[in-house]
Amino acid sequence: MSSFKLKIMSPDGIFYDGDAYQLSLRSVDGEVSILAGHIPYLTAVGIGECRLYEQSGEKPRRAACCGGMLSVDDEGVLLAPTTFEWAKDIDIERAKAAKTKAEQRLAEPTSSAKKGMAKLKLQRANLRISIAEKEKS
Amino acid sequence: MKEINLRIKSITGTKQITKAMELVAISKLTKAMDRITRCRPFYTELYAQLCDIAASSTAGESHFFAKREVKKTCLVVIAGDRGLAGGYNNNIFKYCDENFGGKDVCVLPIGKRSLDHFERRGYEIVSDDFASVEDIDVGDTFEISRMLTDMYSSGDFDELYCVYTNFASMLSQNPGSLKLLPLDESISSHKVELKRFLLIEPSPESVFDHIVPDGVAGLIWGAVCESYASELAARRVAMESATSNAEDIIADLQLKYNKARKSAITQQITEIVSGSQTE
Repeated sequence: MSSFKLKIMSPDGIFYDGDAYQLSLRSVDGEVSILAGHIPYLTAVGIGECRLYEQSGEKPRRAACCGGMLSVDDEGVLLAPTTFEWAKDIDIERAKAAKTKAEQRLAEPTSSAKKGMAKLKLQRANLRISIAEKEKS
Repeated sequence: MKEINLRIKSITGTKQITKAMELVAISKLTKAMDRITRCRPFYTELYAQLCDIAASSTAGESHFFAKREVKKTCLVVIAGDRGLAGGYNNNIFKYCDENFGGKDVCVLPIGKRSLDHFERRGYEIVSDDFASVEDIDVGDTFEISRMLTDMYSSGDFDELYCVYTNFASMLSQNPGSLKLLPLDESISSHKVELKRFLLIEPSPESVFDHIVPDGVAGLIWGAVCESYASELAARRVAMESATSNAEDIIADLQLKYNKARKSAITQQITEIVSGSQTE
């Protein structure tokens, strides 16, 4: 069974550095999965769930992953997201608070730039909540 | 004698303050160094990756990587919020003058000292929202980066540098600069072998439009972390030497005081003795 070298690092530190079997995440364009032997590849990461399979057939480790980039070359895979949180580390209360705050923001009449930011915040909060709940169940 | 006593008291007061500042700097420094060790791998890797992308041939398709004639330069200058950190703030400003003096420059200052310095000199300030280097967080750097990349795209300036202080060790911090935009081949310090990304999805342009602002933000964040730790280390060293100076002066004054006291007593005794002899 083949695996590839994977590094996940965000401004908050290194989250993973080792071998992996499969990495699935959401790019700006849609869902992508990386397996060993992928051709050199570069994409921008969207807002979505990241699933990491360390072994084939195992249950994946889930994480909330937003922004940044994913690059694949001969040496390995580098995922450098803006924010990255393993499902078990997600503070669900905080995410819920962020959600209500973003919804309030959206309800207020503000500039379109601020609205856009609030929308992104809401998206991130929803993502965190859904992943944390999936992890629990 | 009274004067000496007063000076000893005032210097003891100063010593207590410098000692306290040293201790505060030490405790904050531990946290700041923690932060560096956590995010240093991220931005070194990020920088290497951006260099690789810059060197690859596909990069020419994005305006973030294309060279253009430099009419105006933008600097992100990171300095401290407060003084009393030895030469920390001055070194940064000297470095700016040496390297960017005489150019048409606009500045985005981070840190109160930086804002004051450039405002006083009449530089064009891009934004003064980020005056406190202590309170800045990752989200703020993304805001900065979004603003700057937008300005770069609309042609408000043609070059972007970040001037920061590199935290080499507790005792040595060097001011330096990092070229953030455009990301042309000249940014990579080492010779990178030409790597070609065969597949860039959805399209090189849209990928770079996403990656570059994020990358710039990550690098600015790294520079903020380095600078903040440098500031604290510089302050710690400065306060340590101030404290030991104060101790030296106090010891010196104490000696003078004792001598003065002794000679006064001797004089009094001589006076009493000579007075009793004449009787």
